[in-house]
Amino acid sequence: MAAVETPSNEPGTNPSSPYSVLVVGAMLLVIASASYVVVPEALAKVLGGVGSLLPILIPALVVGAMPRGRSMGVRLALGAIAALLALFVRNMWPGAETAADPATPPVESHTLLSWLIGLPFLGAAAILFLPRQAPRTLKAVTLGVMFLSLLASVPLLQVSMGREFHFDQDVVWVERFGIHYHVALDGISLWLVMLTVFIMPIATYVSFGSIETRIKDWCFALLVLQGAMIGALVAMDLFLFYVFWEVMLVPMYVMIGVWGGANRIKAAIKFFLFTMTGSVLMLVAIFYLAYSYSRASGGQMSFDYFELQRVMLPHHIQMWVWGAFALSFFIKVPMFPVHTWLPDAHTEAPTGGSIILAAVMLKMGTYGYMRFCMGLFPEACGWSAATLGGVSVLGGILYGALCAWKQDDVKRLVAYSSVAHLGYVMLGLFAATPASMAGSVLQMVNHGVSTGALFLLVGVIYDRRHTRMLDQFGGLAKVMPLYSALFVIVALSSVGLPGTNGFVGEFMIITGTFVSNRLGHVNGIQAVGAALGVILAALYMLGAVQKMFFGKVTNPENKKLTDINGRELIAVTPLIGMIFIVGLFPNLLLEPMSGAIARIHDDYSVRTENNPAPKFYAGPIKLQARRPEAPKPLLKAPPADAPATDKAPAAEGH
Amino acid sequence: MLKFLTTLFPAGDFTLLAVILGMPLLGAIVNGIWGKRLGKQAVKTMALSVMGIAFAASALTFLLLDREASHHAPEHVKLSWLAWKWMSTTGGRGASVPIELKFSVDALSGVMMLVITGIGFLIHLYATAYMEKDPGFHRFFAYLNLFVFSMLVLVLADNLPVLFVGWEGVGLCSYLLIGFWYKNEANATAGKKAFIANRVGDFGLLCAMFLLVQYTGALDWNGIENGAGSLVSQADPMQVHLWPIGGGQFQGALSFLQPKTPLMITGATAVGLMLFLGCTGKSAQVPLYVWLPDAMAGPTPVSALIHAATMVTAGIYLVCRLSFVFVLSPFTMAVIAFTGAFTALFAATIALVQNDLKKVLAYSTVSQLGYMFLGVGVGAFSAGFFHVLTHAFFKACLFLGAGSVIHAMHARIHDDVKSQDMRYMGGLRKYMPYTFWTFGAATIAIIGFPLTSGFFSKDEILFKAFVNHPVNGAATHMGATAAAKLWQQPAWIGPVLWAMGFTTAVLTAFYMSRAFILTFFGDFKGWTIGKPSVPSHHDAHDAHGDDDDDEEHHHAEDLKKPGLAPHESPWQMTVPLMILGTLSLAGGFLNPALFAGMFKDHKPPMDHWLEPVFEEASKAIQVLPSAEAAHHKEWPLTGAAFVAFLIGTATAYYFYITSKGAPAKDMAGRAPWLHKLLLDKWRVDELYEATVWNGTDALADTAISADQGFFDAILGRLTALLAAAFGTLLRVVQNGVVHVYAGAMAVGVVFIGWFVVVPRADFVVQEQNGEYLLEAAPGMGYAYRWISEPANAKDAKDAKAGEEKFSPTSTQLKVHLDPDKSQTVRLEVKNAFGLGASRNVTLTRPPAEKPALEKLGAADLPTMKLGNN
Repeated sequence: MAAVETPSNEPGTNPSSPYSVLVVGAMLLVIASASYVVVPEALAKVLGGVGSLLPILIPALVVGAMPRGRSMGVRLALGAIAALLALFVRNMWPGAETAADPATPPVESHTLLSWLIGLPFLGAAAILFLPRQAPRTLKAVTLGVMFLSLLASVPLLQVSMGREFHFDQDVVWVERFGIHYHVALDGISLWLVMLTVFIMPIATYVSFGSIETRIKDWCFALLVLQGAMIGALVAMDLFLFYVFWEVMLVPMYVMIGVWGGANRIKAAIKFFLFTMTGSVLMLVAIFYLAYSYSRASGGQMSFDYFELQRVMLPHHIQMWVWGAFALSFFIKVPMFPVHTWLPDAHTEAPTGGSIILAAVMLKMGTYGYMRFCMGLFPEACGWSAATLGGVSVLGGILYGALCAWKQDDVKRLVAYSSVAHLGYVMLGLFAATPASMAGSVLQMVNHGVSTGALFLLVGVIYDRRHTRMLDQFGGLAKVMPLYSALFVIVALSSVGLPGTNGFVGEFMIITGTFVSNRLGHVNGIQAVGAALGVILAALYMLGAVQKMFFGKVTNPENKKLTDINGRELIAVTPLIGMIFIVGLFPNLLLEPMSGAIARIHDDYSVRTENNPAPKFYAGPIKLQARRPEAPKPLLKAPPADAPATDKAPAAEGH
Repeated sequence: MLKFLTTLFPAGDFTLLAVILGMPLLGAIVNGIWGKRLGKQAVKTMALSVMGIAFAASALTFLLLDREASHHAPEHVKLSWLAWKWMSTTGGRGASVPIELKFSVDALSGVMMLVITGIGFLIHLYATAYMEKDPGFHRFFAYLNLFVFSMLVLVLADNLPVLFVGWEGVGLCSYLLIGFWYKNEANATAGKKAFIANRVGDFGLLCAMFLLVQYTGALDWNGIENGAGSLVSQADPMQVHLWPIGGGQFQGALSFLQPKTPLMITGATAVGLMLFLGCTGKSAQVPLYVWLPDAMAGPTPVSALIHAATMVTAGIYLVCRLSFVFVLSPFTMAVIAFTGAFTALFAATIALVQNDLKKVLAYSTVSQLGYMFLGVGVGAFSAGFFHVLTHAFFKACLFLGAGSVIHAMHARIHDDVKSQDMRYMGGLRKYMPYTFWTFGAATIAIIGFPLTSGFFSKDEILFKAFVNHPVNGAATHMGATAAAKLWQQPAWIGPVLWAMGFTTAVLTAFYMSRAFILTFFGDFKGWTIGKPSVPSHHDAHDAHGDDDDDEEHHHAEDLKKPGLAPHESPWQMTVPLMILGTLSLAGGFLNPALFAGMFKDHKPPMDHWLEPVFEEASKAIQVLPSAEAAHHKEWPLTGAAFVAFLIGTATAYYFYITSKGAPAKDMAGRAPWLHKLLLDKWRVDELYEATVWNGTDALADTAISADQGFFDAILGRLTALLAAAFGTLLRVVQNGVVHVYAGAMAVGVVFIGWFVVVPRADFVVQEQNGEYLLEAAPGMGYAYRWISEPANAKDAKDAKAGEEKFSPTSTQLKVHLDPDKSQTVRLEVKNAFGLGASRNVTLTRPPAEKPALEKLGAADLPTMKLGNN
């Protein structure tokens, strides 16, 4: 499926190549095994046997039969990646026997999430004590910590997720203000955490090929970033969430500002200021929410997500608090019209930073909206869904795609395509049907994989040519055949070709949007608009592919480019693998998250059942009962419907 | 043997389909990844053997299917295989719609499967010789195998999303193969154009999918069939609101947009039109046909396999597959029939004057596809589908023949355009006998020479177009009276469609004869034939367009110099030609509808075979004026079609053989503008360029300027400017001059002094079960006096009774109110300076019963009217 052709200077044209015998042999083998497997019982047996052998067979095939002259190290690395992916598919296969007996589910370690957050921070601390003059050690330690994190995250996959939260750890942090260190994980944050621990080593590894200055600082920033991102994804205490949310900002700011391109300072400041504007508003809203809780509960403050979920806010208060949260998340997503920081940040960021920014950090916005806005302020979300759905179709999917089409810088193009893709994600959340929300979460992962891979591949060509302008390229398919093939595959997954990951997410979002009854009477036209984005995606992606790879090599600087090297190949292979794994077996991801999606959908529906405009609660702030799926509270929670002991704000006269 | 196989492959778990699908995929992977290492011989072996196995397995499947079908006749028999569960989505009313990766084969897909693997195998064989010298040999076969795999996924899919995988997969392979010689920018552009035009169609398919999910709650064929009734529900058949969008209301200033009666269509019409939009993309119908002629930039075997025999017929396959949905909407049927007839006519006019042999065939394909849509559009599903089959035979043969000719021409003419130009050909009959005879066989088939395959299939379509009348299939779901209110086709449609089809038949006979004559008769005009004076190093065939060096490899050769005569192609190319030529001649006897009387039940074999597939749909097709009367029209109409054949062929014979092309030149000279217009393909490409393309372009330009010039200017620059301006202002104040600081302090002191001196009467109200507690705000040296009076008090005596002295301690007042009563309270405040202030409030206790609020758990709250003085 190589999309391209290499100059032929080996005896491949020899008609009596010895390989032909090999092929005929292979064919006979296939025929023989085909005739063998037709016996049904044997079929089941063979398939069962093959299933358990796959993690060995596939890497063996990859190592043994890799076509181009790669070194043994690269071969083994690719084999290991193949083995990991095969193991992932086999063990996540719905109905697959997990290692543990289903009767005794694996014991959930309550400190596991803390380890996942803490490991990178510990690693970062360790980096500080290592000598700046030993870049190899620094790199090795960084990668080692990341692999350790990846390994440590495996138990997350072994738990059957269901509707509940798992790996719950709740420790009092500041007792007086009810601030806890509370982390927990459900089927939604599971995949975003997995995405983070999966993408980070890749981004790190590939960045070591291009980052040459201040290695120590770079490693430190990466590790802090990883810890903060995981923390933000599992924090179930809003104060803790905010701390991680802000900590996450600093390393990225530094990464753009120090290792970025020519306009890096401006881009870094823009990125910081945009995000900060939203964050500060969110902080005020968090404090207000905790204060409201304390008034409704009789003086006991809490920042706990599950406690704050109980707070019923009347209309205008809810609108303000929701608005502050939503603005913060929309900037992060980014949603039109507050997206303008993204193209600048992406263009100036170093490759590794771009990958992390696109793959994980943007998901904080969509995740935050899903978890906090939809969880805490369902009525406000429902009230605004139709309008915001329109914004994400017109301003995100269509406008983003049109802008992407007109870019002459590949990185800017990919950045605008992110605006379009995240428009789909947000549309799915606004539509709020089970399929559209599951599609949104899947699309978050997909976008991380595909756009991460695109940025990685753009970085490859940037390292060679130090330009990203489309008109500088042309005819690369001949010079860099393997690179071109990989780029085309990733581009097609970004376009949403069925069989790749992009399609599944988009399909679920679009069908889910059409059947949604939360978008007023515009659900139909919004689904149609989202489907139109599919055409535009082909327009800009294939346009870029044509300008880069097809035609003749016109620029003499492109004639002597070397094809993708071992490091880059190793980095991009897992992403390519995931493109097909998610595209063909989306149930591996959909199954574990379905319970959490159903929970969020139910919680959301209970409070927004009056369609199309949900009826807001009109009384004073009060507490509902704790959600049945919430983990047990650490301290005794105040009873529901506690009489308002304080002054009712709705009745205050001034 | 068959019986044993039936136990091996039960109908519900028919794993043989995995073999059929897996083989081409295996070929694609092996050739794609290792092809370069393996060498051409191995690539060839691999590609041919996977196709051979797939064909053998398909044939076996077909036999098993036949056996199963004859056991369970007249049921609609399916052999299916579930690979795994793919995903699930949400349907109407919140139900979960599972989407499985499931494949099935029935009578319809069985035929398609045989065509794909059978003709696919022949074309693979042909390509091994045709692409022999191409450096991208392995890449070509990898793509071609991938295409066969995708096409098989398309026809074997058991639900619409899986079909969509194949649908986009063939589009991808088409994109890759059109742009196969990617170094030529034009080829890459043609590929992109094909992909994007197809994507427009795919958009339609995507829309159809979510409509089906909403209305039928299923996407697999059985589920759609079972739920089809809800597309025309009894309660409100007009379910899809087109304007105002989604059934909203325009109010206020926009009310002029509100139509008197909202524009609505049935779900069936919406689904049908959207599916058909997909078909126009894939099957190159107006308005999305423009990509197909450009697609001829790909290697010729690709044109034969993808752009003639298989992929482009996917649209007709889809209409046949979902025929039970289409017949629910006579409007959609009329749209399909008219689009088909118009495309057939339109493309035929362009084909009249083209000089590029492949372009003629391309427009001929568009035109023939139009015929097929005409057939299915009038409800002659099996006739339309039969034309897919015969067209696959003769058009593949024509394209391969053309490839053979081009292959020969390429010996001396290396320019890709010139080597396909018929003005350089002529007289090839002598040099390429096999090609000549097979091309001839296919030509007489396409122009409808009696008893050839094209004759039977085309005449059947024309006959059915005349007599068939699709009535509302919704009647079975919603009753005849309700269905009669929906739109019905008028009776004149049939004859009009027939007339369009008839004219097309005349034109087809003319342009195909013209192409045939120009290519094979007369004198050879390519180059001077004789003994080559200088042994050319190019006597072998060149690689087409793609080489290792970047310089223009194909330096023009002097064609005046004598060279070797064009020669016949090797056996790998002629054998497929002969097989396809034979099928073009004899294939019609698979379904000779004209001689239906000779068969059991008056059903020719193909109609009989497909009967269960179209059983549901055929109920909605009426024959006008009656089946008996129509039967009598069959022979006269066939005679008319024969006349069309005669007129077209005779004219071409007169024009190009008798008069050596003089009348054609004469006619072109008399109406040069028309000739130019036809030669420029009615300038439709230019029209699209000027409207759709430039429109999108302008929109994108607007978007990008708005992005930088407006949104970023406001968010990025304006905010920065404001901050800077504010900073500048503050900087003026923070100037270090003591006078200024002192002045600012003075202003502050005055402000605070004012706050202390002027009293404010503020209080807050709390309520519990009708007991109101008013609490006054504290202040320096404040004394308070409360005056409470019933709001509806008629005399002021009560009010005076409550009058008291000012007291610094009476900060609170308690009032009791019964439900539905109100009272006005007044607070007066005096401060240490003797200044006073006052404020009124009217307390109103709402009536006791407040069900709406209580439901939400709200406490009884007073609503207050506040007045401040």
